[in-house]
Amino acid sequence: MNTVVCIKQVPDTETLIKVQGAGIVTEGIKWVMNPYDEFAVEEALRQKEKMKAGNVTIVSLGPDRAIEAVRTGLAMGADTAVHINDAAYYDKADPYATAAALAAAIKGMQYDAIFVGKQAIDDDAAQVPAMLAEMLGIPVVTMVIKFEVAADKSKATVTREIEGGQAVVEVPLPAVFSAQKGLNEPRYASLPGIMKAKKKPVDVKKAADLGVSEGPKTAIKEMSLPPARQAGKVITGDDAAAKAKELARILHEEVKIV
Amino acid sequence: MHGSGAEISREVFWNILGPGFPTEQVLLYVLVVIAFLLFFHGLARSGFFTRMKAVTSAQGPDVERVNNAWDRFMYMVVDVFGHRKILREPYQGVFHFFIFWGFIALAITTAIVFLQADVIWPIWHVWFMQGGFYLGLSLFADVFGLVAIVGILMAMARRYFMKPKWLDEKGEDKVILWFILAILVTGFVVEALRIQATETDPASPMNPYIWFSPVGRTVAFLFSGMSMDALRDTHVVLWWTHVLGALGFIVFIAYSKLLHIVMTPVNIFLRPDTPQPPIKAMPPEMFENAETFGIHKLEEYSWKDLFDSEACMRCGRCVEVCPAFNTDKPLLPRDVIQNIRTYMEKKAKFALDADGNYHILPDEEYTGPALIGDTIEKDTIWACTTCMACVEACPAYILQFPKLIDLRRYLVMMESDFPAEVLDVFKGMENNSNPWSIGAHVRADWAKGLDVPLLSEKGEAEYLFYVGCAGAFDDLNKKVAVALVKIFKAAGLDFAILGTEEGCCGDSAKKIGNEYVYQALAMANIETFKAYNVSKIITMCPHGYTVLKNDYKELGGNFQVFHYTEILDKLIKQGKITLKQPIENLGVITYHDSCYLGRYNKIYDQPRDILKALNSGSLVEMKSHHAKSFCCGAGGGRMWMEEDLGTRINQKRTKEVEASGAKTVCTACPFCYTMLSDGIKELELSEKLQAIDIAQLVAKAAGLDQKTDKAGNENDQEAAN
Ligand SMILES: Cc1cc2nc3c(=O)[nH]c(=O)nc-3n(C[C@H](O)[C@H](O)[C@H](O)COP(=O)(O)OP(=O)(O)OC[C@H]3O[C@@H](n4cnc5c(N)ncnc54)[C@H](O)[C@@H]3O)c2cc1C
Ligand code: SF4
Ligand code: SF4
Repeated sequence: MNTVVCIKQVPDTETLIKVQGAGIVTEGIKWVMNPYDEFAVEEALRQKEKMKAGNVTIVSLGPDRAIEAVRTGLAMGADTAVHINDAAYYDKADPYATAAALAAAIKGMQYDAIFVGKQAIDDDAAQVPAMLAEMLGIPVVTMVIKFEVAADKSKATVTREIEGGQAVVEVPLPAVFSAQKGLNEPRYASLPGIMKAKKKPVDVKKAADLGVSEGPKTAIKEMSLPPARQAGKVITGDDAAAKAKELARILHEEVKIV
Repeated sequence: MHGSGAEISREVFWNILGPGFPTEQVLLYVLVVIAFLLFFHGLARSGFFTRMKAVTSAQGPDVERVNNAWDRFMYMVVDVFGHRKILREPYQGVFHFFIFWGFIALAITTAIVFLQADVIWPIWHVWFMQGGFYLGLSLFADVFGLVAIVGILMAMARRYFMKPKWLDEKGEDKVILWFILAILVTGFVVEALRIQATETDPASPMNPYIWFSPVGRTVAFLFSGMSMDALRDTHVVLWWTHVLGALGFIVFIAYSKLLHIVMTPVNIFLRPDTPQPPIKAMPPEMFENAETFGIHKLEEYSWKDLFDSEACMRCGRCVEVCPAFNTDKPLLPRDVIQNIRTYMEKKAKFALDADGNYHILPDEEYTGPALIGDTIEKDTIWACTTCMACVEACPAYILQFPKLIDLRRYLVMMESDFPAEVLDVFKGMENNSNPWSIGAHVRADWAKGLDVPLLSEKGEAEYLFYVGCAGAFDDLNKKVAVALVKIFKAAGLDFAILGTEEGCCGDSAKKIGNEYVYQALAMANIETFKAYNVSKIITMCPHGYTVLKNDYKELGGNFQVFHYTEILDKLIKQGKITLKQPIENLGVITYHDSCYLGRYNKIYDQPRDILKALNSGSLVEMKSHHAKSFCCGAGGGRMWMEEDLGTRINQKRTKEVEASGAKTVCTACPFCYTMLSDGIKELELSEKLQAIDIAQLVAKAAGLDQKTDKAGNENDQEAAN
């Protein structure tokens, strides 16, 4: 089974984010592969291992630094990669422009499935999966937590997470699948994997090389951080009963919620 | 046969030799030769030579174990004859000492008799075994024979009555003690029969000196009623029984754990000469070039790793002290070593070609049991806390747990196969340079408002205070870091911290087996240290201490590294800090030795000296302390893993704290501090016990903390946040 995995490089969840106008200060940030994309890579690798055939291709849009995330995917076991290394395009790209670039890169490829993360944890738009599928003219199933493919690769049976439960969906291939936590446990790249990844082929392209003409449909005007958290309050008291009483008093009198 | 003038002596081969040609004497020496031939035959049959082929085919990095040969030899002599390590366990130490010296003395006596009867007399007709020398020799042999018997009886008492649960029980274990006892007892009975026959007659010239064989004389009373013929007949039979027994013993050595008589001294000669068990850094160029990392095949070990198992006599001392074994986890360091030994033979069956030469089979051809899984289980590999207790205890200088680290390296770097919890730890170390996975940018937040000098601002300082991840990120241990900087400042120490430029020391990564991540972390620190021309470093954590001090050297980082207890001890002794305020509510205190401070780096006294200088409560020792201290359970990356097999190590140690009668247990390691604090909470002992770090106590006694709650914890602004 041939698969394509779209990965985005995002700031590590623990890293310090400083806002600057409509963007963030990128210096000093630790960049990682979007965590949901790790599930996507893992699933593609598992399908390949199960079928004992096929190729896994990584596609990523991002500046120079994004190659690290691409190499992470290759280290996990992906075979080849396309890096749309175009800082100018990337800086202005909204989900629409991103999907357009990815679709242009994927269009000529042979694939049975495209795995993507359910959302990128930096801008949280969660739009790329659906737009990408639309642009490629294939179905999309989002929030996938279980993936099974028919032996003839004609269709997949997938389980998706829905509010308060699960739904099982059948879909003809090829299709786009967005990965939710729970789909699998992403592997830790082995050392030989890391070393081999350095030598695997990465096709570097500009957006123009792919013939993408359409620009973004939206633009970020401003960004701000959430207000700093207020200091917590430690409730003291002689014993649990006294503390509970004091808590009840605060909730009732000061916070006025009970 | 012997010197006629020698009256105060005895006839060697009395009652054994017939008249004329000394048939029996010749027979005896033929038997001796046969025994030695059978010994070597036994070595072959018991697989010794096969195992040696495996040892010599080992491909692992060569290790230097024969340098300074004379020093090594002298060390071995002192160790073997003085029982330096064996006597650390009093009971088994003493009985081994008795058996050992009993045998040495009897061997010396036998050699003297041999020289007299078979060399000196036949060639020069000189009989020196007479008079005072003979009497002395007689007394010497008797006393030491008795000492050996006492030793054997003590060993029997342990095996049959005390039955410690770590003692191995194989077929040979049931036989050996009885075998040796039989040889010793028949020796005395033979002597007694001879004495009864030749010395009890008052007319005998030996009669006045009969008590120079005190044991033989005493036993002879048993035979006082026997006729001369009966004495002689019994004597002949028992003499040959004794001789055959002794020769059989030589043969038995080849087949049994008794081979340690030969192999353990060899292994002591080959011992590692570093204070820490070597867990060698992989050469960095290996990451680029090697096909495989760590060890998953026997022959990937070094020859010394494989040879180690020859010296193991299954004494079980390593098992006795192992925290994993003592909390019912499937790890017995002895069995790791013994399983490698058995596996060498098993594997040899697959690897011996027609000429009997051992050759290494490619993975595809090899169909036998695997090293990881079949020989040493994964649960065993992950149970180790790298506490070093096994290495410290082993009288044969075997390196048990480092062999497990090699297997971890394979599992981690080749298979990505490790406890699931560890994934986040690796990612935290890779992305944020700390195992807690907290943003690297907050590494220095603990120091906010304390006006701690930063190296980047100060430019240089005498000491770099390397805080480490626990002091920087863990709430409990931030208090220790705060206490330390207050003390350093009060003492006028010229120091600075690296702030957010500091990185994880990498110890957990190294001991979990992720040498790649360890070296990346270590190299980053070394570069930073070098960029600031750092020469002296104070660490808060013993784990950082040991890697910065000992392991960074392998990667080109040579720094003078101190643990904070060394510095505080010095500052107190120099009067630069005065501990003026007695600390209330400490009660009786005890000190928990951190494995990495104690066993790894031999820092035992400084923490105790500091505690004594506090003058705030008497110091007691727990059941296990100093070199025998029991691990808290957090080393070797176990801090980051679930402990779902057996019982919890930290709780076992907490119970030892309780049993010591102490109210306060003092730590000098962030991991120990965390583990014991948790142990106290888990066992609901907070009313009775408290854990606290030594640095906090010093700050308090020096009047450097702002407020104090009743538990003696610092409760100032920083600690509350
Ligand atoms: C996903 C997940 C991960 C977890 N991970 C860990 C872990 O890593 N380590 C661990 O130790 N436990 C962990 N837990 C367990 C969790 O911490 C316990 O369930 C919780 O501490 C139970 O506390 P309680 O018994 O006081 O609950 P309850 O008293 O039933 O608490 C219910 C609610 O009462 C309020 N409340 C209770 N006590 C206080 C208080 N003192 N002050 C203010 N409000 C209060 C809070 O709103 C709380 O949510 C995890 C649980 C989950 C679901
Ligand atoms: S290092 Fe400690 S835990 Fe590991 S095997 Fe040795 S004694 Fe057991
Ligand atoms: S490894 Fe050492 S301590 Fe352990 S059983 Fe063998 S000889 Fe004894």
